[in-house]
This record gives sequence, structure tokens and C-alpha cells, in this order.
Amino acid sequence: MTQHQIVLFVVLPMAAGIVTTFLHRYRQAQRWVGAGFLIANMVFAFKALATVAPTGAVLVSQMGNWLAPFGITIAVDTLSALMLTMASIVCFCVFLYCAFQFDRDQQGGFFHPMFHLLIMGVQWSFITGDFFNLFVAFEIMLMASYAIFCVGTSKKQMKQAYKYVLLNLLGSTMFVTCLGLIYGQLGTLNMADITRLAMDDKLPTSSLPVIAMMLLVFGGKTAIFPLWYWLPDTYHTLPSAIGGLFAGLLTKVGAYVMIRVFVMMFGTSTQVTDIIAPILLLTAGITMFLGVLGAVSMHTVRRILSIHIISQVGYMLMGMGLAIASGVAPDIKEMAVAGAIFFIMHNMVVKCCLFLCGGLMVEHAGDDDLEKIGGLLKRAPWLATLFMIAALSLAGLPPLSGFFGKWVLLSAGFQSEHYVVVFFAVLTSLFTLLSMLKIWSYGFWSPAQGKHVDQPKKRPMTIGGMWGIALLVIVALSMGLGAQKYYSMCAMAAKSLIDPTNYVKAVLGEQNTPEYKVVINEPTSQAQPMHHESHEPAANHDSHGH
Amino acid sequence: MNLLIAIMVGVLFGSSAFLMLDRELKGVCMGVFLLGHGANLAILSVSGSPAGKMPPVLSHGVDIHTLVDPLPQALILTAIVIGFAVQAFLLTMIVITWRRNQTLSLHMLAEEEAH
Repeated sequence: MTQHQIVLFVVLPMAAGIVTTFLHRYRQAQRWVGAGFLIANMVFAFKALATVAPTGAVLVSQMGNWLAPFGITIAVDTLSALMLTMASIVCFCVFLYCAFQFDRDQQGGFFHPMFHLLIMGVQWSFITGDFFNLFVAFEIMLMASYAIFCVGTSKKQMKQAYKYVLLNLLGSTMFVTCLGLIYGQLGTLNMADITRLAMDDKLPTSSLPVIAMMLLVFGGKTAIFPLWYWLPDTYHTLPSAIGGLFAGLLTKVGAYVMIRVFVMMFGTSTQVTDIIAPILLLTAGITMFLGVLGAVSMHTVRRILSIHIISQVGYMLMGMGLAIASGVAPDIKEMAVAGAIFFIMHNMVVKCCLFLCGGLMVEHAGDDDLEKIGGLLKRAPWLATLFMIAALSLAGLPPLSGFFGKWVLLSAGFQSEHYVVVFFAVLTSLFTLLSMLKIWSYGFWSPAQGKHVDQPKKRPMTIGGMWGIALLVIVALSMGLGAQKYYSMCAMAAKSLIDPTNYVKAVLGEQNTPEYKVVINEPTSQAQPMHHESHEPAANHDSHGH
Repeated sequence: MNLLIAIMVGVLFGSSAFLMLDRELKGVCMGVFLLGHGANLAILSVSGSPAGKMPPVLSHGVDIHTLVDPLPQALILTAIVIGFAVQAFLLTMIVITWRRNQTLSLHMLAEEEAH
């Protein structure tokens, strides 16, 4: 994949969104076109991963050929490529489920365009190298998610939609204020440029409160400890497939951005990490433990799964916290970030898979209240098998993917002697197993007790959903059985995050110290348009000699 | 000038917080809209005091330090456009809620759900 092709990650879903908008009267066409675009998207994501992962190269494209830090940069490094690959797989599987599982009003003409635009926002935030563009990408993602939230709404969903929309609006407004203030403090919004300032220890002390404020913004989006209250109420009201998409992508985008910002951009500045790292480690412990306690106390499948998202976010925070904690050796830092990245990837796949399973349980049993359903093992043995693999994977049993993510994080925690958070992580893991077994034993194992399960009308059509789930389980299994291969890619990504010199060089070019001084040319004999002497678009180089 | 803007931003943020604690959805939404304006103004202040400065148009012999920084204004423009879309969406939601429930009071809506 060449460097300028990375713009396809934004352009393809956007094109899909536009095309499916025009096709809104033809559902069948929408499905096939959408599937085609998503497969193409997956192929490109794999190609990008194959290009960057072996060498740790960074694909950089400057929009309009305006040199960084003045233009808009998009860049794909190993972390972005890994996220893109997983996200594109998750999107495709959810799409399989949606396209064949949704009933008519939920699928109404404009669901497909919103779905693709959501993916556009997600992928854009993975590849952008510019802080303000991150805001725009977030907004596109969120607008699409607001609209999807309201597709075929029930009253309950509508009310929760307010909570979701208003809180996210608040978050976005804070984000844009932060960006403005950061520009005021640092004079740049290019991520690589800010990274360079942090590496050179040139961050003014007055910028620290703004950076800390960003923790609040991204923390809200990721649903970390004091800011997670919106999530358990909202996600379970969604149709399961959408719940799966949101669970698999949206909070993980938040986690990705937190890694990008606090580990890569500001991780090299001890001024910042001294403030952020203790907060992250503290909230990590509380988030994972409270989240899982909530999950154990719940009684419906989707509520258990949605509150579980919070608990899993705790592990990611733990990895980030260890990566920037003071007095940790660089190789352990790398290990912690690699663990966090591995965990995010694992979580995207497994969480989404469990939500889809929950959706099919509703199809089979007519409800997802664990008190009312049961006996699904006999009725849907394949679903039960797939659910079991995904659930054990989430709990982190040895040959499965969750185990390796947690293993790396825990051993990083041990080696850096942060025993308290490690203790909570292990405890959380036990409770996770408990809550998953709860779904298993009530939903699948116990005798049938719901009216739908007792008197099945007809077997529901679940073929699309089953394929989606099966594909996700295969990916999860491959992450477990081929963990070394995945982990080495994560380690490569982690290396370039802990020491971002390569990223900075790739984006800013070799000279590395752009001057923010614009020199106006002396008037020449020919009337020439004005341009910045050192930062003009490269296209102008031919006509103006320096 | 900066002090004036700072005070205005404070007033906008404060009144939007007040509005957001309203019991009616209308008030809450107005609060969110005002918050956006406050944020935009805060960004505007970043470009510094415009007193004695020139519009950011480059020409011969202009010292760069006498120009106003145009970037915050570009940011605000984007933020306004996005804010506009979000406001339209929120207002649509309010209209739908009104049509369905004949009330916009959060209290009534919550009660309705409880039944």
C-alpha cells in the first residue's frame, strides 16, 4: 500500500454512505453495495497492516501537499493499522448481522448510510495526525451514532438517546475548547509537532491544566470511572447489533485516542505524566472493579454485557497508566502498552461478538431477562458453543485471547511493582468469569422457562448473525492461538509509541525543527503570488527558486 | 480585550450551566447551544488581542507579527458548522418527543417511564 492510499480509509466509507443514501429505496442493493465496500475496506486495512507492521514504518499523507505542521496530516503507523484491521472486521461482522437480522422498520432506508458514516468517523479518528481533525472525526462518528440511536426508536430508547446526545455534546464542546486553548499554548495542533515539543521538554507549565482537562474529555468517551454513568443506561436499549457496533468501536476509539495522546504525545514529558499516570492507575483499578461488580448484579444479558464494557476499559487504562508511570523501565513500559493494545483488539472482537450472541438469544428466546429464559443449549447448540468460546475469552481462560492480553498487563504490573492494581485486575477477572457463567447457566443451561422458549412459533432466521458471530469467534481464536504473532505487532506499535522519534520524523520530515517564522519574499520582477518561504506546498517548488 | 472576552466566556458558560439544570428539555438544549458559543468565544480569544493588528492578508513588506492569527477563526468556523448540525438534530429530537408525549418536562417524561 502506498502512502497516499491511506486516504481511502476515509473516502471508501464516505462513498459507501453517499451511494447507499441514493439507494435508500432499494434495500437489497444497499446490502450488497454496503457489503462490497466493507470487504474492500477490510482488504485495504490488511494491506496497510502488511505494509507497516513488519518494519514499523509510518505511512504519511499530507492533504493538499501542504507540509506539516501547517497542513492536515493523516498517518498510519502500526497502532493505527492494527486498529483499522480489527475495526474493519468488526464492522463487517456487525453488518452481516444487521443486514439479515433486522426487521423492517429498524432497517428503514437510512440506516445503511449512517452505518457507513459511523465507520468513516471511526477510521478517520484512527488515521488522523491532526488534533482538530480528530475533533471533526469524532463529531462525524457521534452524529452518525446519534442518528443510529434514533433509528426505529422506542420511547425508552428515545429518552436514553437524550442522555447520550447531551453528554456527548458536552464532551465535544469541552474537547473543542481544549483544542483552542492548546493551540493558544503550544501554537500547533499537529500531533507529531506537539509530540516533538513534549520530547524537547518545551511544554509551557500553563498548558498542563488543559492537557489534564483532556483526560476528562476522552475519559467521558471511553467511560472511565467517575464518568461512566451514561453507558450502562444507554447501550442496552439499543438493538443488539448496534449495541455490538458501539461496544466494539466507540469506547475503543476513546481508548485508542487516550493511548495516542497520553502515551505517545505527552508520554515523554515528565511534567504531564506526573499528573496523569497516578490518575490513570487509580481510575483503572476502580473502573475495572466497580464495572464488574455492576455486571454481576445485573439480570439481563444486554445489561450485563454493556456494564462489562466499563470493566474492560479498566484494563486498557492500567496498561496506559503503567506505560507513563514514573520509575518504570522502558522495556516494561513497552510491554504495558503492547498489552493495552492487544487488549483493545481482543476486546473489540470479543465484546462485539458477545453482543451479537445476546441479540440472537433474544431472537431465540424472545427476551433477554435471565429470569425468564433458559434452555437455549438445546435450541441453539451452535450459538451456545460460540457464546461459550467468546465468554471464556472475555474472562481470560488460557488458550483464548483474553488470557494473553491480561497476562502481559499483569506481568508488566508485577515487574513495575504496582501490586494494588494487579490485585484488582486479578479479582476483576474472577468476577468476569462469574458474570459470564451467570449468562451461561441461566440462559443456556437451565431448563426452558420463557413462553417463547416453551412454545416456539418458528425457528428464527439467524443465518447472517451466526456467520457474523462465527467470523468474530474465529478471529478471537486466532488471537489466542497465534498470540505471539499478534503480540509482536503490538510490541512493534508499542515501541514506536514509547519512543515516537520515528513518527515525528515521518510526519515532519528530517529537518525536524520547523520555524514558525514566515518570511515575505522581496518583490521580484515578475509579479508572483506570495508564499511561505520554507513551508510552501511542494508543487510550487519548480516555479520559485530560493 | 482579553479580559472582556474571558468574562464573557465565563458568563456564557455559567448561564449555560444554569440552563442545563432546567427541568424542561427546551432549557437544557438552549444551555447546550450557549455552551457552544462560549467555547467558540474562548477559541477566538486564543488569537490574541486584535488591537493594532492587521487582517491576515499577506502582501509585500508586511511584518508577520502585525497580523492576527487566522487559524482560531478557521477552527471556530468548523465548530460552528458542526454545532449547527447538532443543534438541528437536537431540535428535531425535541419535536419528536413533543409529538409523542405532549410534554417536554423531564419530570413528566421520567414519570411516564416509571409507569
